[in-house]
Amino acid sequence: MNASEREFSMSFRFSGLLLIIGLCIEAITLNWIHPIAFIAFFVIGGLFLGAGVLLFLYSVLFHSPPPSSGNLPGN
Amino acid sequence: MPGPTAILFVLLGTTIVLLVVMLAHASLTATPAGKILAFLAFCVLPILCGFWGLYEHLERSKQTSFCLSCHIMEPYGQSLYVNDPAYIPAAHFQNHRIPADEACYTCHTDYAMYGTIRVKLHGLRHIYVQYFGTPMNPIHLYDPYNNRECLHCHAGARSFENDTHMALLDQIKANQLSCISSGCHDTIHNAASIDKVKMWRPQE
Repeated sequence: MNASEREFSMSFRFSGLLLIIGLCIEAITLNWIHPIAFIAFFVIGGLFLGAGVLLFLYSVLFHSPPPSSGNLPGN
Repeated sequence: MPGPTAILFVLLGTTIVLLVVMLAHASLTATPAGKILAFLAFCVLPILCGFWGLYEHLERSKQTSFCLSCHIMEPYGQSLYVNDPAYIPAAHFQNHRIPADEACYTCHTDYAMYGTIRVKLHGLRHIYVQYFGTPMNPIHLYDPYNNRECLHCHAGARSFENDTHMALLDQIKANQLSCISSGCHDTIHNAASIDKVKMWRPQE
């Protein structure tokens, strides 16, 4: 695995983590009818979701994904 | 049939499960189908969930319970139950002239182009003042109440078309004469004296 693939793997995992946290924040705030819930969703949840999606797109566009025959570490 | 919120929760759960699976088996992205799945799980579905969640939150912010969830608004919520038809908000709320679950929003929104956006920005300002500033005591509107919000429903209604309203219609439309502060319908929330008035108890 070269440096670009390693970086893709890292940012892929990190973006997934950011998205899961963002989606969990969204699920929690949707259970609470209060202005703070809206702010938490919009600011914190939106930040995690936006960062997760952008990091994924960045990793796809600027780093080489693993070759079709290869596996990412940890599989 | 499940409501839109339930469907959103299912979508959120599905997206999280899909993300966990993709992270646990990252080798799936090596195949063309896996790449499409990754694009869905990491891009399309989170964006969809985000915008749907935003829509849900904006819709919830119209609810009476949302407005009354702040302590400072409690007397205004109580004023909807005053047992006196002279209280304009109470008369509207109790007689279902406005939707009971969107009572505050119906009268305090801005029935103009981009009005919804303007009231949402006002809402953000309320939150800022509540948590980082000093709320007004007693609280009052940022701008004088616009007759347009009353006329949105009342204009053209048979009960509105009496001699008094018709004679003053131009002044009412031009906001030269306020519906609520020119001596005609001037009993509004009166939150400061809410503990001195008789309350209406709705029968289940």
